[in-house]
Amino acid sequence: MNKKTEIEYLVGENSKLDRTFEPFNLLVINFLDDLSKSLDNKLNNQKYPDLKALSFFCRKKNILNLKYKHFTNGTVRFGLGLLFHITPSNIPTNFAYSLIFGLITGNSNIVKVPSKKFEEILQIIKSLNKILKKKKYKKIKDMITILRYGSENEKLTQEYSLKCDARLIWGGDETINNIKKFTTKPKNIDIPFSDRYSISLINADKILKLTKSDLANLVKNFYNDTYVVDQNACSSPHLILWSGKSKKVSKQKFWDQLDQLIKKRYMSPLISTVDNYSRLVKEIIKNKNIESHKSFSKSLYVITLKKIYPNLFLEKPKWGFFFECDIKNFDNLSFVTNKRLQTLTYFGFEKKFLKDYFSKKNFNGIDRIVPFGQALNINLIWDGYDLTKILSREIEIK
Amino acid sequence: MQFLDKIINQNAFSLDPSFKSKFFLESINSLTSHHFKRSNLYKDYLKGLNYIPKKNNNLSDIPFLPVRLFKDFDFISIKKKEIFKTLLSSGTTSNKVSKIFIDKTNAFNQMKVLQKIFYNVIGNSRLPMLVLDKQNQNVDRKKFNASAAAISGFSIFANKIVYMLDQKNDIDYKKLNTFLSENKDNQFLIFGFTYNVYNYLIKKINPSKLISKNFSNAFLIHGGGWKKMEEKKINRLQLNSELEKKLALKNIRNYYGLVEQIGSIFFECKCGYFIASNYSDIIIRDENLKISKKGEKGLVQLLSLLPTSYPGHSILTEDIGEIVHDKKCKCFGHGKRFLIHGRLQNAELRGCSNI
Repeated sequence: MNKKTEIEYLVGENSKLDRTFEPFNLLVINFLDDLSKSLDNKLNNQKYPDLKALSFFCRKKNILNLKYKHFTNGTVRFGLGLLFHITPSNIPTNFAYSLIFGLITGNSNIVKVPSKKFEEILQIIKSLNKILKKKKYKKIKDMITILRYGSENEKLTQEYSLKCDARLIWGGDETINNIKKFTTKPKNIDIPFSDRYSISLINADKILKLTKSDLANLVKNFYNDTYVVDQNACSSPHLILWSGKSKKVSKQKFWDQLDQLIKKRYMSPLISTVDNYSRLVKEIIKNKNIESHKSFSKSLYVITLKKIYPNLFLEKPKWGFFFECDIKNFDNLSFVTNKRLQTLTYFGFEKKFLKDYFSKKNFNGIDRIVPFGQALNINLIWDGYDLTKILSREIEIK
Repeated sequence: MQFLDKIINQNAFSLDPSFKSKFFLESINSLTSHHFKRSNLYKDYLKGLNYIPKKNNNLSDIPFLPVRLFKDFDFISIKKKEIFKTLLSSGTTSNKVSKIFIDKTNAFNQMKVLQKIFYNVIGNSRLPMLVLDKQNQNVDRKKFNASAAAISGFSIFANKIVYMLDQKNDIDYKKLNTFLSENKDNQFLIFGFTYNVYNYLIKKINPSKLISKNFSNAFLIHGGGWKKMEEKKINRLQLNSELEKKLALKNIRNYYGLVEQIGSIFFECKCGYFIASNYSDIIIRDENLKISKKGEKGLVQLLSLLPTSYPGHSILTEDIGEIVHDKKCKCFGHGKRFLIHGRLQNAELRGCSNI
């Protein structure tokens, strides 16, 4: 068979895909709870922390919690219809979250999964197919098709684009622009999850007050935000902003602690050595804003900047390559915030302080402000979109 | 550079290890100073590393430029008007092109050294050469891509050149048969890229259309990388045995070299090793860019005495290699023996970048 036209149906080859529900339908919630239970097994828990997190996410208690948080009781809402998900190649579980968001909001779903055959994808598909065999989920079976095909197969992308009511497009700018070329129904909504970058904000003075184990914990959270996905997630921090008086000592404490953890835990392929060193040389040669640079190890390079400059993150670093910069006062943040900025993870600040500050400032970028350790926690509000509302329609009754 | 004059008339593998290491170190250190003075980008690099060029710096401490940076920057150590030709190499992974600027001195040295090295493989006689490629129609004498540069480099060993492919990249059997009948009793050279050797001499050639299936008097020189071959899951031994089975072709020599260091290339000897000549050296580095332990595989750093018009005398490649200590191998003469185990794999990143 010609590889280019190969289509692989993983779930629901003949699904009707014409059903909608109200958001947080009970059958869907039970279905997701069964998925949670099925994923919660010894193998997954030991080997795949991302499957463990997924299982935790779709358990009944969490979904009901989301309903309570995101759904206004008393309104009459239904899913938009059919969603076409184009999911990213590199976070194995991302397609599942996209699908779950589609189901929670009451939609039928066509999900295109990445061509790379991750074990995690296989495990999720296996669980889904097992649960969908149950008679009680016949209705849900009609709402899911998951397939894999090459992006060259434009005919399929065209067909689904014409059929769907919304497209969830995850990927780099190039991918998104390419998908947007395919015609849709006039009323179709495109929700692009494009390439973003993220930063951290640290109150240096608070670092000094941490006990040894609290510092270890903080660094572990930073590690989980970053190294678990090779720093290649949009939400992983790429730039660290330091505020406070005791910056010098705090920086040293923080990076040294991280360096130790990396040496103990982080495994990266040999190409990361070349990637990181090449990036360093490139910065040394062309970047006029460098104050100093330090290579702790092959997986921890820190470039200290004199100031923040535009286009800092046109080419995002990865494999543990960070920029850092001191800030004197918070008005400086306007230099960092632009439409490509997604997440700010913080340490040493009160939530209330940040809420007051950012609600006053109205920067033209930044969609998430979360404590260290929560950068990768995907949710129904993502990239600034309130998906519960966007993916369902409200019937106004007066 | 005067140091080249001291050895240029010797055999390319003449220097015994203790003399070579001293001579090579002095020469490399003077090259580092040379480029530090003449290339601003290179100077910025060394300054950024806090590296000060000196006469007696250690070889292992000589900074290396990651080879991919030739795609991002125009490294040059001569005046623009001194550029004699520009070598271009397109990478397989990105659209960017490496640019290597060559002046007349460099071009001459490259040719001379290639000849010196090649002498040990074939001898001094010029032979008819069959090229596994099509003839380039619009030759720009100023700009060469990697393949044109290689063909033109090796053409100095030929007294006649015949291109085996027509302009549509199909085998031109008429031309090929004329060449074979003219040389049925002569030694001749075949030159091609490794993938073309596989594609044309093994996969596509139709022996029934040939006047002779016996290529035993041919000497095949090939290089340019195994990346495509790895995809086909064909290794060196398989390639060689297929060539012998199909065309009785036994004299096969792979070469290894980068467009960033043309001239001081490495030929495979009869034992199957690449050997560093008087003009080059190799260092294997581990994942922390430290020198690898003896016998371990790692990243290949290549040093060459030839680059004077651009700072390419010490580069970090993206190839995996291994230095071999085999006392039995006496091929060519002195020089480190090594193996190349292919290119670094483009890693599977986790994260939400492009599909």
